Amino acid sequence: MRLGVPALVLILLSGAALAHGPTPQKVDQSIVIAAKPDVVWKVVGEFAGIGSWHPDVARSEGSGGNGSGGQRKVMLKAGGTLNEGLDEMSAAGLSYSYRLSDPDLKALPVSSYSATLTVSPEGDGSRVEWLGRFYRGDTGNEPPEDLSDEAGRTAMNRYFADGLKGLKAKIEGNAAP
Amino acid sequence: MMGVPVIGQHAWAGLILGLAPCVAGAQTVYVASQGAGTLVALAPGSASGGAPLAVGRGPAQMAAGPGGQLYLTHPDTGRVTLVDESGGTVRRTYPVPGQPFGIAISADGAQLYVGDWAGNRVMRLSAESGTLEGTVPVGREPAALVIDGRGMLYVADRESRQVSVVDTTAMARVATIPVGEAPFALTLSPAGDRLYVANVRSGTVSVIDTANRRTVATFAVGGMPYGVAVSPDGARILVTDQRAGTLVVVDAVSGATLAAVPVGRYPEGVAVAGHRAYVANWFSDSVSVIDLTTLRETYRIAVPEGPRSLAVPPRAGR
Repeated sequence: MRLGVPALVLILLSGAALAHGPTPQKVDQSIVIAAKPDVVWKVVGEFAGIGSWHPDVARSEGSGGNGSGGQRKVMLKAGGTLNEGLDEMSAAGLSYSYRLSDPDLKALPVSSYSATLTVSPEGDGSRVEWLGRFYRGDTGNEPPEDLSDEAGRTAMNRYFADGLKGLKAKIEGNAAP
Repeated sequence: MMGVPVIGQHAWAGLILGLAPCVAGAQTVYVASQGAGTLVALAPGSASGGAPLAVGRGPAQMAAGPGGQLYLTHPDTGRVTLVDESGGTVRRTYPVPGQPFGIAISADGAQLYVGDWAGNRVMRLSAESGTLEGTVPVGREPAALVIDGRGMLYVADRESRQVSVVDTTAMARVATIPVGEAPFALTLSPAGDRLYVANVRSGTVSVIDTANRRTVATFAVGGMPYGVAVSPDGARILVTDQRAGTLVVVDAVSGATLAAVPVGRYPEGVAVAGHRAYVANWFSDSVSVIDLTTLRETYRIAVPEGPRSLAVPPRAGR
């Protein structure tokens, strides 16, 4: 069978609206903080409390608690809202995993992601690692520049790096000498 | 972590003892790296990979033909690449409509069945020329494809929470089987009587009776199951959990979790060769090799960026 050009165009366009594309991308950021892991975890381990430490976040609110199934709504200063669901909270492991519930291209130019934030000991302090897997904003084969893999990598890495810098500043600024 | 080198020594000892009689039947495992656009051969028992072969941008899924040739899909560029049976040369690249993702090959090697991720259909292509010979509609976002010995093709329709069954002789969908949320990976039992489905968002494995075409059990695995394989005796199901970074070993009858073997980050594809399982650690750019007797990781092989798919071509000379 042979497909005409209009049919092909329709097929390609229909992919753009779907939530997932075939090429996942990495985001990987970490930072060292001069405070014990349990001190860092007290700040970062409250899923809905991201607004208290992430400098790009105007406000955050949660529902459904701080365990699997909990939700947070993260309103960004630059506009847009991230609705995220908590997949797993490990207070003992100082780690939680979550994912984007609905894409908001105004907030981040990505269509979906899952991510994990982990606090571990490093020397006398802590290392916070924030990593994830995401798909670009337009998962069709001809994405515009602002919804490309590159745009997604830039935005996600900046958002994670900004957050960790803000977390470090908040904790180290408040820590007793 | 401490245990890895120790277990590794045991594995090496076993390997050296077992090597001579097994060489002829030993299988090479191939790993495709989507980020790097490469294919790497892992020789039997080797703790390092061969030289990477450039196969073009973004290879996502891969299948081996009966003669040992490998076919790779490239969804971003709309291509299928054919690598010769030695694994060392790109023999051909065809343009394919849509976003080619999952791939399966007919038993005689003449036809390729390729899922069009964005087009919600399966295409039949000539393996020789890449010519589009037919299509059949399936559910939304067809992910993995597997074919059985009778030419029945199973398609994981990721966003339709179902498996489509396609009779490839007629190129007609003959059944849809409801499964868990976001089915992504599939594998058939060695006897072909069971199809195991990894459901990413429900954290489960659906067990399908292929004769009756219905789900007969749903095993809770937890996390995000992204890859599935079966042990050669059919007794154990091997599932990658992308969230925990583990290979979960499940009893194929009871569904009980026998072990959760730590591997790299965001593990995806899993394949079995002999008594070892190979896991593609997408985030960590490595392949974990798990001894299926001890259920421990014996070594970890660095590979180019973004490994997702593995293939184990049939043994030569059979």
